[in-house]
Amino acid sequence: MFTPGLQASAIGRMSTLVVHALRAAGHEVTVVRCELESLMKKQSHDFGGTVLSWGNQAAVKAAVAGADSVVYQVGNNYDFHIGCLEWLPRAPGIVCLHDFFLGHLFWAWAERNRPAAHAILRSWYGDTVSERYFAHPDSDSFLASTVDAAPMTEWIGAMASGVITHSNWGAERLWRSCAGPVHVVPLPYNAPAGRGAAAHSNGPTFHVLTIGHVNPNKRVASVIRAIGNSSVLRDHTVYRLVGRIQTDTVVALSSLARRYQVNLLISDELDDDALVSTIDQADVVTCLRWPSLEAASASAIESMLYGKPVIVTDTHFYSELPDDCVLKIDPEDEISSLQGALEKLYESPELRSTLGARAKEWAGATFRADHYAQCLTRMAADVSRVRPALTAIERLTSTLAGWGASSDWLSGDESRTALAIFGSSALDN
Amino acid sequence: MKVLIVNNMAPFVWGGAEELAVHLQKNVIAAGHEAEVLRIPFQWEPASRIPSQMLMVRAFELMNVDHVIALKFPAYLIRHPRKTLWLLHQYRQAYDLFDAGQTNLPPGPAGEELRTLIRNADSESFAETRKIFTNSEVTRQRLQNYNGFDAEVLLPPINDAELFDGGQAGDYVFAGGRINDMKRQYLLLEALRHAPRNVKLLIAGPPDRPADGERLRALVEQLGLADRVRLDLRFLPRTTYAEYLNGAAAVAYLPFDEDSLGYVSMEAALAGKALITTTDSGGILSLVKHNETGWVAEPEAEALASVLAQACENPQRAAARGAAAKALWLSLGINWPQTVEKLLQ
Amino acid sequence: MKIALCSSFIPFLPSGARNIVEWLQAMLEKEGHQVERVYLPEVDAPDLLFQQMTAFRWIDLSAADRVICFRPQSHLIRHPHKILWFIHHLRVFYDLWDTPYRTYEDDLRHRGLRDALHQADTAALREARHVFTNSQVVSERLTHFNGIDSEVLYPPVIDAERFHSRGHNDEIVYVCRLEHHKRQHLLVEAMALTRTPVRLRLCGASISNTYPDALKQQVAAAGLQGRVMLENRWISEQEKVDVLADCLAAAYLPLDEDSYGYPSIEASHARKALLTTSDSGGVLELVRDGDNGIVAAPTPQSLAAAMDKLYTERQRTVAMGERAHARLDELNISWSHVLKRLLA
Repeated sequence: MFTPGLQASAIGRMSTLVVHALRAAGHEVTVVRCELESLMKKQSHDFGGTVLSWGNQAAVKAAVAGADSVVYQVGNNYDFHIGCLEWLPRAPGIVCLHDFFLGHLFWAWAERNRPAAHAILRSWYGDTVSERYFAHPDSDSFLASTVDAAPMTEWIGAMASGVITHSNWGAERLWRSCAGPVHVVPLPYNAPAGRGAAAHSNGPTFHVLTIGHVNPNKRVASVIRAIGNSSVLRDHTVYRLVGRIQTDTVVALSSLARRYQVNLLISDELDDDALVSTIDQADVVTCLRWPSLEAASASAIESMLYGKPVIVTDTHFYSELPDDCVLKIDPEDEISSLQGALEKLYESPELRSTLGARAKEWAGATFRADHYAQCLTRMAADVSRVRPALTAIERLTSTLAGWGASSDWLSGDESRTALAIFGSSALDN
Repeated sequence: MKVLIVNNMAPFVWGGAEELAVHLQKNVIAAGHEAEVLRIPFQWEPASRIPSQMLMVRAFELMNVDHVIALKFPAYLIRHPRKTLWLLHQYRQAYDLFDAGQTNLPPGPAGEELRTLIRNADSESFAETRKIFTNSEVTRQRLQNYNGFDAEVLLPPINDAELFDGGQAGDYVFAGGRINDMKRQYLLLEALRHAPRNVKLLIAGPPDRPADGERLRALVEQLGLADRVRLDLRFLPRTTYAEYLNGAAAVAYLPFDEDSLGYVSMEAALAGKALITTTDSGGILSLVKHNETGWVAEPEAEALASVLAQACENPQRAAARGAAAKALWLSLGINWPQTVEKLLQ
Repeated sequence: MKIALCSSFIPFLPSGARNIVEWLQAMLEKEGHQVERVYLPEVDAPDLLFQQMTAFRWIDLSAADRVICFRPQSHLIRHPHKILWFIHHLRVFYDLWDTPYRTYEDDLRHRGLRDALHQADTAALREARHVFTNSQVVSERLTHFNGIDSEVLYPPVIDAERFHSRGHNDEIVYVCRLEHHKRQHLLVEAMALTRTPVRLRLCGASISNTYPDALKQQVAAAGLQGRVMLENRWISEQEKVDVLADCLAAAYLPLDEDSYGYPSIEASHARKALLTTSDSGGVLELVRDGDNGIVAAPTPQSLAAAMDKLYTERQRTVAMGERAHARLDELNISWSHVLKRLLA
C-alpha cells in the first residue's frame, strides 16, 4: 500500500487504520511511503510491519512483484503523494481516491511533464481547456476555472485498475474513466483517545472550533462575520482556529475579528494530546467548505466520532450525512444561515447533546476500517477477474496505436458484440 | 525444421493460392522438413471488419514452429521470429486498386484511416521478416513503390513437373488453361479460319462461366471448324492435361496483359514444346523469343494464322524451338527444391 | 450445407482432436456437404489466454451455414448457428485446479484469471445452439462449472467395417500409445501374477524412449519375455485390424481419461471383450462389468485374476465380445447418429 506516512497527513492516519484492519483479517501488508523524501524525516504514523520508501526502486519493485494487490492512497497534495504518481503507471493497482479535485496534484506533476500533460488535458477536456490550463494569473482563478471544468479526476481514474472513493458526488468522472470497478465506501477514521464527551457545558463561554490548515475554502472569515452579526454570539463565543496558518492570514483574520468584535484565538498546529483536549473543550465544531474539493472530510468524521455537534456546508460529501447528525448550512446564504445555526446551538444544550450523541453513534457504525478493508479485498478480487480481459484489450489498442489508428475501431457495434462476453466494463473504456 | 505455411482462407473457396500452399508444403517435406499449412479465415467485406481481423492475426501465438512462410495479407501479420514472405498478394484495395478507384474502402477520412492502418501494419510486418519474395515482377514493383521494401522475384514452380516429359511433336496446337475473354482462346479460332487445312487445334480447360464455353462452341460452328478443332471444356484431370500438352506440336497461350508467366507456358516449356503467343500478352514474353523458342504474333487473326501454320508444317523446326524453350526455362532455375531452399534461408 | 469444423491446434503435435475433426469431415463430405476445416493456433499460457480468446472472437465464418467447434478455445468463435462438440475444458483452470497438474500459483492473479475464464467460457458456451460432448464426464463438468446442459455424442471410429473377428487366440492386446498414464506397466505387473498361459501384446509408439525402456526392463526382470510381446512402434491400420481380429480380448486402462478412447470401440467393433479398471474414467461409460468386459480394480492382483478369467472362461469371453459389439448400438456410437444430431 502506497500512502503518505507523515503525521501531518490525515490520509496517512486513515491508512494506518486500514493497514491494521487488513492485517487483522489475515492479510500481509507492506507499506510504501509516498511523500517527498525530504518530508520523510518527519514523524511518521505507526504502520507496523515493513515500511519502504517509494524511492527504493529495488525493494519496491520486489514488493510489487510479490503482491497480490497494490493499493494507492491518492490525494490532491503533490508533496504528499508524489510516490504514487511515480509508481502507478508501471505498477497498476487500486486507487483509494481522497479528493475528486486533483488540480494541484496535476499541476505540480505537469511542471516536468508538459507535453504529456497537454495530451491528457486535450483528450479529456478538449483543446480550449488544454490551452488555457497553465495560463491562469493566480491560484484562485485557476481553482475557479478548473474545479468543475477540468478537475483531473479522470487522469487518475484512467490509470487505476479499480477505484474506491468516499462519497458519490464526484464519482461520475470515475465511472467514465476507470476501466475497472468503482465503489463508494465510507472513509475510515478514528477519534484517538477521545473521551467523546458530550458538549462541554460549564461556564457561559461558547467554544467554537475549526480544525485544519487555514485556507479560504474553510470559510473562517464567514464564521467570524456570522458570529459578529449576532450580539448574543459576539458576547459569549470564543472562536478557536487550530491548524497550519500563514502569517498574512493571521493578520487578515485578526483584523477582521477585531472589526466584528469577535473573540478569535489562533493556535497554529498542535500536537496530538493538545488537539484532543482542544476538541474536548469545544461546544461546536465548524467544518465548512466552499468549494468542497475532497471526497470525504476526515475532520468532520473525527469531530462526529468525538461526539461533537458539527456545522457543515450543505454540499457534496456533507449533504450525504444524515440530517440528525449534523447541522447543514446553505452555501448560497452562507453567513446568515451560519449565524442561525450557531445561535440555535448556543441556545440549546440539549440540541448540542442530542446532535453530538447521534453523530457519534452513526459515525462509529459507518466509518469503519474493517468494512473498508473488506471492500478493498473484494475489489482486489474483482480487479483480478477483470484484469485478464483488460490487459488483452490494452494490448490490442496499443497494437492499433502502433498502426496509427485510434481505438475507435474497437468500439463499433461489431466489436462490442464480440467482446461482450468478457464483461461489459471491459468494453466501456 | 518445423515449417508453418500461413495463408488466408476464404471459406469454401479453393483457388490457385491454396494449390500453391499445398504444393509448397509437399515440397518442403520432400526437402526433409516437417510442414503444415495454417489457413486463416479472412473476410474483407465490409471493409470496417478488416482492422479487427488484422488484430486477430497479430494476436495469434505460435508454439512449436521453427519457420514461417506467409503468403498474403493479413496472414503475413502473424508474429514469429523466423518469418519469410512469399508475397502473393498485398491488400491491393489499399494501394494500386485504391488509386484506380476500385476499392471497397469507404470514401473520406474513414477510408484514409484504414489505408494508413494497413500501410503501417504492412510496414511493421515487412520489417520483421527475414526476407521478402514476390511471385511476380509486378508484385515486386508495387511493394517497392508503395511500401519501399525490396524483394526478390520467386516464380512459383510447376507442380508435378514429372508429368511434363514431352514426347513426339504431334499435329495439333494445344491451348490449355482457364477459358475466359481475357485468355482469348477465341482469337485462335478466328485465326484458324485463315490457316491451312492441316492445322489442328485442341482447346481444353474449364470455362469460368458457361457463356465462355458457349462462345467458343458457337464460333467453331459458325466458322465451320469442327473437323479441325477439338474442344474439351471442363476441369481436366491432371494426367489428361499433361497428355494433351505432351502430344502437341506447339502450345498457344495468349492472354491479354497478364502479370505472370502462366502455368501453361511453364509446363509447355518444360515439356519442350514451342510456344505461341501475342505481342500484348505480358509476362509470357520473357519465355517466348520470336523464332527462337516459339512465335510472337500480332493479336489478330491473320498474323496468328501464319504462326499456327508455321508451327504445324515443320515438326523438326517445332521440336527445335521446343528444345530451346526448354533450355531457356531450365536456365531460369524455377524448381521446387531451389524455391524451398530460398524460402527457408 | 456449408459446414465449418473449427478447432484449436498446436502445429506439428498430433492430438486426439484431429481425428474427430478429420473423420467427421470425411463423413460429411460423403453425405455431399461442403466442409471447411478451420484449425487455429493456440497456446495455453495463462498470460496469453485472453489475448488469443479475443482473436477467436473476430473469426468470420459467416460464409458457413453452421460451424461445429471442438477443442478449446475454439468455442469462442461467433456464428449464428454454432454447435459445440465439446471435448474438454482448459482443465488446469477447472477440475485440475486443485491438483499437481496446476503449475501456476494459487494466488489472487491466477484465481482471478480462472474466474474470468469460467465467465467467458460460460458466455461463449451459451451462444451455442446445441452443446454436445464426447462423454458423460465432460457433460458433468459442463453442468458443474458452467451451468450448461449438454448431450453426450460418442465419437465413432472411421471405417468401422474394417474391424471383425476371426477367432480368439490366447492374447490380450493393448493397442495404444505407450505412456505412463495409459498404464501398460500395470498389465505387465499383473502378467507376473497370472496362473494361466494367457499372453499379453502391447503395441504403440511413444513420445520418448523412457517408458518403453522401463517396460522392457520390467518384462525382462519378471522373466516374461515369452509371454509378453512389446512392440514399441506405430502399427499400421491393417496390422491393428488383424491383431484385434485374432485376439482373445482387448485392454484399455488409462488413468482417469474423459473419453472411452478409440481403442475401446475398435475392439468392440471387432467383437472382443474389454478389460479395464475402475479408475479409468470415460471407458466405464462403455464397459459394464460382466456384460461386455471386465472392470477390475487398478491392482496387479485384480487384473491378473481378470486376465486368467478371460482365458479360462473362454465361452463367456466370446459372448462378452458379442455384447461389446451390441453395446455400440445401445450407445448410438455411429456416424449416422452423429450426423443426424449435428445436422439437426
